[in-house]
Amino acid sequence: MMLEHILVLSAYLFSISIYGLITSRNMVRALMCLELILNAVNINFVTFSDFFDSRQLKGNIFSIFVIAIAAAEAAIGSAIVSSIYRNRKSTRINQSTLLNK
Amino acid sequence: MDLPGPIHNFLLVFLGSGLILRGLGVVLRINPIYSAFSLGLVLVCISLFYILTNYHFVATAKLLIYVGAINVLILFVVMFMNIQNIIKILIHGPLGMALLRCTILDTSWYGIIWTTRSNQIIEQDLIGNSQQIGIHLATDFFLPFEFISIILLVALIGAIDVTLQ
Repeated sequence: MMLEHILVLSAYLFSISIYGLITSRNMVRALMCLELILNAVNINFVTFSDFFDSRQLKGNIFSIFVIAIAAAEAAIGSAIVSSIYRNRKSTRINQSTLLNK
Repeated sequence: MDLPGPIHNFLLVFLGSGLILRGLGVVLRINPIYSAFSLGLVLVCISLFYILTNYHFVATAKLLIYVGAINVLILFVVMFMNIQNIIKILIHGPLGMALLRCTILDTSWYGIIWTTRSNQIIEQDLIGNSQQIGIHLATDFFLPFEFISIILLVALIGAIDVTLQ
């Protein structure tokens, strides 16, 4: 029963952060919810590797790669957010329409 | 660590409820600094989860990288911008969550355990978690390891280049 509990917990975290990502008008809050999504996926990976793959730890190693990718994405995301803020003086998502014609 | 049963269960319930409350705190708090701190606490809770399942290396790596670097970066970005407090309209979506929960609880997960392959490391129980991960990273997953370092280098250069005038 413990595996199902942890899976439900990570599914809950995933759905809460997708809700936060979709309904946030602030770019920084969207970044934070994106980090939560990647963390929920990490919990899933490590739980499955703990219960089914104690020999080779494939899920564990993949979660290390996900951590590294999340770090790179957080750095680039905050660089983009700060340059948009410098140009537009606001962090609302519906105002960053720089790619439109 | 291998704790006795009741302490293990109590810690799981405690961390799980903390995770639920702080996850809600990240999404629903209006002040972005409070949600950034709630994000830090969620990451600490997840690291304690990993310590309970005997994976010490991943727990410490998450604490150092996520809480120490990414959360600090997000806090810097939050404090750097003068974000106005915005009132949100709540949209209810419980159907998707209920569907996910039914799917998880109705699947027979323990039928999968009979299809796993046999041992690859001979001294299985004498090696700690960090050494196991090190062995696999250096032999099976060497190419993704190098690619990750290149990706991090490119991200670093790109982030600096975007923020320069």
